[in-house]
Amino acid sequence: MSAVALTVNGKAVTGDVDPRTLLVQYLREHLRLTGTHVGCDTSQCGACVVHVDGKAVKACTVFVWQLEGANVTTIEGLAEPSGPLHPMQEAFREHHGLQCGYCTPGMIMTAVDMVNRKGNELDDPTIRHELEGNLCRCTGYHNIVKAIAAGAKAMGKGQVQPTT
Amino acid sequence: MSATGIGAAVRRKEDQRFITGKGHYTDDVNRPGQCCAYFLRSPHAHARIKAVDCATAAKMPGVLAVLTGAELAGDKIGNLICGWMITSKDGTQMKMAPHPALAHGKANHVGDAVAVIVAETLAQAKDAAEKVSVDYEPLPAVTDPGKAQTEGAPQIHEIAARNTIYQWHLGDQKAAEAAFKAAHHVTRLDFINNRLAPNAIEPRAAIGEYDAGTDGLTLWNTTQNPHVARLVISAFVGIAPEHKLRVIAPDVGGGFGSKIFIYPEEVVCLWAARRIGRPVKWVSDRSEAFLTDAHGRDHVTHAEMAFDADSKVTGLRVKTIANLGAYMSTFSSSVPTYLYGTLLSGQYDIPAIYCEVDAVYTNTVPVDAYRGAGRPEATFVVERLIEVGAREMGMDPADLRKKNFIKTFPHQTPVIMNYDAGDYHASLKKALEIADYSGFGKRKRESARHDKLRGLGISTYIEACGIAPSQAVGSLGCGVGLWESAEVRVNPTGSVEVLTGCHQHGQGHETTFAQVVAERLGIPIDNVSIVHGDTDKVQFGMGTYGSRSGAVGISAIVKALDKIEIKAKKVAAHLM
Repeated sequence: MSAVALTVNGKAVTGDVDPRTLLVQYLREHLRLTGTHVGCDTSQCGACVVHVDGKAVKACTVFVWQLEGANVTTIEGLAEPSGPLHPMQEAFREHHGLQCGYCTPGMIMTAVDMVNRKGNELDDPTIRHELEGNLCRCTGYHNIVKAIAAGAKAMGKGQVQPTT
Repeated sequence: MSATGIGAAVRRKEDQRFITGKGHYTDDVNRPGQCCAYFLRSPHAHARIKAVDCATAAKMPGVLAVLTGAELAGDKIGNLICGWMITSKDGTQMKMAPHPALAHGKANHVGDAVAVIVAETLAQAKDAAEKVSVDYEPLPAVTDPGKAQTEGAPQIHEIAARNTIYQWHLGDQKAAEAAFKAAHHVTRLDFINNRLAPNAIEPRAAIGEYDAGTDGLTLWNTTQNPHVARLVISAFVGIAPEHKLRVIAPDVGGGFGSKIFIYPEEVVCLWAARRIGRPVKWVSDRSEAFLTDAHGRDHVTHAEMAFDADSKVTGLRVKTIANLGAYMSTFSSSVPTYLYGTLLSGQYDIPAIYCEVDAVYTNTVPVDAYRGAGRPEATFVVERLIEVGAREMGMDPADLRKKNFIKTFPHQTPVIMNYDAGDYHASLKKALEIADYSGFGKRKRESARHDKLRGLGISTYIEACGIAPSQAVGSLGCGVGLWESAEVRVNPTGSVEVLTGCHQHGQGHETTFAQVVAERLGIPIDNVSIVHGDTDKVQFGMGTYGSRSGAVGISAIVKALDKIEIKAKKVAAHLM
C-alpha cells in the first residue's frame, strides 16, 4: 500500500492505496468524483483530463502516489460550489458542443487549459490542433470547436456570447 | 410556436449534468457490497478448450469465484440468440449455432470469453486471471469471408456446412438475366466493404445484482434498449422470468448500434451475482471493446450494372458474402438482407434487380448493425457502379445520374421498397450549384499547377430509417415488433412526466420530446420530465436505433397526448 496526500478541488485528501492506483481510479473510486471518465487504455481519448497544479494532465497516465502535495482540479471543481458555471461549461451548452456527454468533461478541462496557455482569441486550426488528445465519437467536433472559441472569448470577458 | 415548443432554439436540459460531471453512466453506479469481474479471453482465433484449471486462481487474495462455460452449462443458463429468422433460397432456416455466454469446448474468435474471475477489486481479479491455466489446442482458422465457404476451410460450427449461415436472395433473377443479355454496356465491380469497429467513447459495462428476498435480478447496463435486453435475457437465456428481471440503462455514452445487442458479459454478471450473492460489476477496457463490441459491415461483393444504348440502367445484379463473425449477434441476420437488398435501387429507376447474399461464419468478432446498418453498404455498391459506369461510357457522372433518377412518384422498386415522394433532380441540382461543379475543372487545373491532386465525388442515397411497421418486419422473419410506447402523466400539481420506451445516448430526447409535449399542452419544457431507461418505470419499449425515436417514439407520445386532451376536456367541462 502507498500513502497519498494531495488536494482535490480545494479539499485536502489522504489515503492508503494499492500503488498501481491511477489518479483517475482514485478520483472515481475513492473520492466518488465520477465526472472524470475512462474511455481508452492507451491515453489517447482524453476523457480523463484533469488539471494538476494548473496544467492539463491525463489522469489515466499518472499514479496517484506520484502526486504528493499536488493540487488537482476535476470537472466537478471547475465552477464555484454554489456559484454560476464556468464560462467554458456554459459555452458547451450554448453551442451544442456535446451529445452523449461522455467526452465532455475531458473536452472542457482541455479547453480551459488551452486558453490558459494560448489566450482568449483561439482560431479553428489552433483549437483543432490542441484537441488532438481528445476524442469524440458523437459530434464530429464541429460544435466543440465553436464552443471552445466562444468559451475562450468569454473567459476573457466573463460572459458567453449566444449563438446567432 | 411557443417559446420552448417545437422549432424553438432551446438549450438541452440534459447538458446540465454532463457539463458539470454529474452524469450517471453505468460505471458511475456502485452497489453496496459490489465486487469486480474480469474476463479471461481466448488469444486464439480458433481453438479447442481441453481444460481450464482455476484451482490456483481461486485461492488468490480477494477472489470470490472463478467460473467457466462448464459451470454455466451446469446451471442450465441458455444461449444468446439472433432474433431475426432468415430463410434461404432453398427454404431452409438460417443455421444459428449455439452461443453460450462463456465458451465451452471451443473458442471461436480472439476475445471469446473462456472464464470469468470475480474478486473484491479489479486488480485482484486481473492478478488471478494470470493464474488461470487454459489448455488450448489451436485449430486452423478462417477470417476472410471470401474464403469461408471454400472446400477444406476450417468448419467452425457443426450446424453450418461450409460455414454458410444462409443463402438469401431478393428480386427477379430471370428479369435481371434478360436485361444483362440485351445490355449495350455492362459495368462489373469487385469490392470489399471493410469491417468497422464502433468504439462508442463510453466502453460497455454491466452490473448484475441479486435480491435473495424477492428472488429478483437487476441489471445496470450500457444498453440502447433495456426492455429488449430484459426480453432476450429472460425468454432465451432464461436467467430469470421477465417479471423478476429489471434492466436499467442510465446515462449511456454513445451506442451507434453497438449497444443494441445482448452480449455475454451482462448475462455472466447476472448469473455470477446470483451465484456469489453479491453485486458483480464489469467494465470493458478499450482493447477488450475492439475484441467484443459487435463490428460493422465486412462484405465481399461482386456487382454488375447493365445499361442500354441510351445509358439508361436496365438491370442490377449483386452477389455479396457477408461476414457475420464467430456467432450470430442479436440482429445480425437482418443487416445484409432486409436492411441492404431493399436499398439497392438507390434513387434510380432500375427495372430489374437481383441480389444474392451468403452470410458466413468466420473466426472473427461477431458483426451486427452499426451506424447505417446495411444502407451504407447498399449505397456504396450502387454509387460505385454509377461512377465507374459513367467513366467507362465517357459520361459525366452527374449526367448519368440525372438520366436515371426516378421521375414519377409513388415509385415501386423491384426490391420491396415503395418510394412515396421525392425530387432527386432538385437535390442534385442544388448540390452541384453549392459545390460549383461547373468550376471544378478550373480548380483542378490550378491545383495541378501546384503539384496537388483535386477530386470531386458525388453520392446520392436513400436512407431507410424508423425501420418498418411491425407487420412488415414480422412477415420478413423478425421475432419482435418494431412499435414504440409512451405514457403521459399529468401530476396533480401540473407537471408532466412522459414514460417513453425510447432511450437516449446522445440524441437529446429529454429536450426534444419535452418540446413536443410543451407545445401541445402549452406549458414550459422545464415542467416536463422525460423518463426512460428503466424497465421498472417504463411500461415497454423497443429502444433507440435506426433513427426510429422521432418517427415511432414521438408518434406514440402524440397519441398519448391525444388521450390526455380528451381527458382534460372532460375535467375542464366539469370544472367550468
